[in-house]
Amino acid sequence: MTLQKRLLGWLADAALILYFVFALFPIAWMVILSLKPTNQLFSTYFSFSPTFDGYRTVLGDSEGIPFVRFFVNSLVVSVGAVVLSLVVGLPAAYASARWRFKGSENLMFTLLSFRFAPELTVIIPLFVLYQKLGLFDTYVGMIWVLQLVTLPLIVWIMRSYFADLTPELEQAALLDGYSRKQAFFKVALPLVKPGVAAVSLLAFIFAWNNFVFPLILTSNEAQTVTVGALSFLGGDRPKYNLTAAAALVSVVPPLLLALTIQRYLVRGLSFGAVKS
Amino acid sequence: MAELELRDLRKTYRSRGRPAVDAVRGLDLALGTGELLGLLGPSGCGKSTTLRMIAGLETVTGGDILVDGESLVGRPAQRRNIGVAFENYALYPPLTVAENLGFGLKARRKAARGDVDRKVEDIAERVGLTDILDARPAGLSSGQKQRVSLARALIREPDVLLLDEPLSHLDAAQRDTTRRELKRIQRDLGHTTILVTHDQEEALSLADRIAVMKDGVIQQLGTPYEIYDSPANVFVADFVGEPPINLLTGVVTADGHARLSDAVRIALPVPVAEGREVVVGIRPEDLRLTGDEGLPARVVAHEPLLESGIATLALEGVEHPLVVVTDPEVRLAHDDQVHVAVGLTHVFDAETGDTLR
Repeated sequence: MTLQKRLLGWLADAALILYFVFALFPIAWMVILSLKPTNQLFSTYFSFSPTFDGYRTVLGDSEGIPFVRFFVNSLVVSVGAVVLSLVVGLPAAYASARWRFKGSENLMFTLLSFRFAPELTVIIPLFVLYQKLGLFDTYVGMIWVLQLVTLPLIVWIMRSYFADLTPELEQAALLDGYSRKQAFFKVALPLVKPGVAAVSLLAFIFAWNNFVFPLILTSNEAQTVTVGALSFLGGDRPKYNLTAAAALVSVVPPLLLALTIQRYLVRGLSFGAVKS
Repeated sequence: MAELELRDLRKTYRSRGRPAVDAVRGLDLALGTGELLGLLGPSGCGKSTTLRMIAGLETVTGGDILVDGESLVGRPAQRRNIGVAFENYALYPPLTVAENLGFGLKARRKAARGDVDRKVEDIAERVGLTDILDARPAGLSSGQKQRVSLARALIREPDVLLLDEPLSHLDAAQRDTTRRELKRIQRDLGHTTILVTHDQEEALSLADRIAVMKDGVIQQLGTPYEIYDSPANVFVADFVGEPPINLLTGVVTADGHARLSDAVRIALPVPVAEGREVVVGIRPEDLRLTGDEGLPARVVAHEPLLESGIATLALEGVEHPLVVVTDPEVRLAHDDQVHVAVGLTHVFDAETGDTLR
């Protein structure tokens, strides 16, 4: 009986280790690749003389590709997109959770449709528009277009957070002498803070990882890491080690962010799942 | 503390594609200073809408709300001085009890900081919260939450206090103690109060006067005794009283009786024209089991409770069972033959439901 149990335990462990290897292998492969010197790129699998030259090149601007600027661009447009979405989306989410007004459901559905319509369906008209409006390859243009990614997410998730808050809380605040605005900012909003943290992080990751918009709507000035990392593949010879190094560097911000607000994230994403 | 008057108060909900709903239709009420009025009715009768209109959480479709002769209509909630204890308490979760209580004073900038602390301590003592001032709402029992909610409404010294189903989420033991507390606190502080409830016991035990509401209209306004002893119509008679009143339909005979069946006649308290269809109402407390006087009946069921019993009887040829409150020592079995003496009766018009006097 106990032997059987132990065997089962080992089997489960083995299965988990197998899955662990399977899941992490691509990342390990990327790390290995990023540490290889250029001349050993194709010659070996695991035995090579590891070097940080790849990272140095990527961060040092020596291939004529301004990766650090791409990185900064990514930070600016992703943070910008999330901040703008919060400023617009939190009041929108609150309003749609609290009041039904003419066309409110249609409005919400329209917002949602931005998420399930593939970006490729709108990218060509957007490209033309951006060229004409002078938004092509600008921060403003990128932050604007990323609203398609971040805004629906923030509005829809925050809407359910607000809907879970009992309206009596704000009504009590009104009776206590708060204005509508104060009741929103000082009573409702603080109570959904974990949700704001969680959804901001998610939105940031989606914005950061977006590929199609920067690919088509930027060329150099506002280009982001996702597209920028690929520029190492161009030229006379694809430099896979540099691409790997660039990709790994670009994973750092979302990873750090996720780790720092993990506490909020778990609480935030499970909020409302269990009714008290 | 002030007088409150509602004049022809109306609320109609209109939404596109659906017929308009008249939630409150022309309510007239006047409360004297310090009076506790119970607004009693089933859910959907408009009592909560009325409360929300007084508080300023709902717009008014028509009529007027006057506090000491001054109209509140059109004034936002934060500029009225109305205290509300919400049904679900609605305490601010991140704040301690003391902070919850002080919230309104700080929001209205009505008091200096030291004053706030003093007032919080003062009200906490009156309502019995001194021990839990540093606790957060999540850790409190429902009874404690209810008291905090009440204290929060009271601390601002509101002109009018509104209580929304204050006891509905409490268990039986807490309900009794909280009800007594509530009564004592309201008496001590003397706030003009409206208590909204669907629970007759709550209204009867707390209120000076009761307004029974149905379909947005007040059916009867009076003291608990008036409501119980002389209900204005079948609805009021049926809604107030536990166990509920027996309502039996019959036709008036030439000698002033109501004929319920070929075998059963009941004397009417007032003269009614022969041949008219009436509903006779007899409270279970007004029926008494006797040896051989009164109406013969067959026992359908008997529930011996501790302080009294409830017997369900069948009268010959009458469809509706007759419920009787019995003495504690009485033991009855199914199919026993008994006699019931009829005490006080009420008689209502079968069509309109109004009491015939």
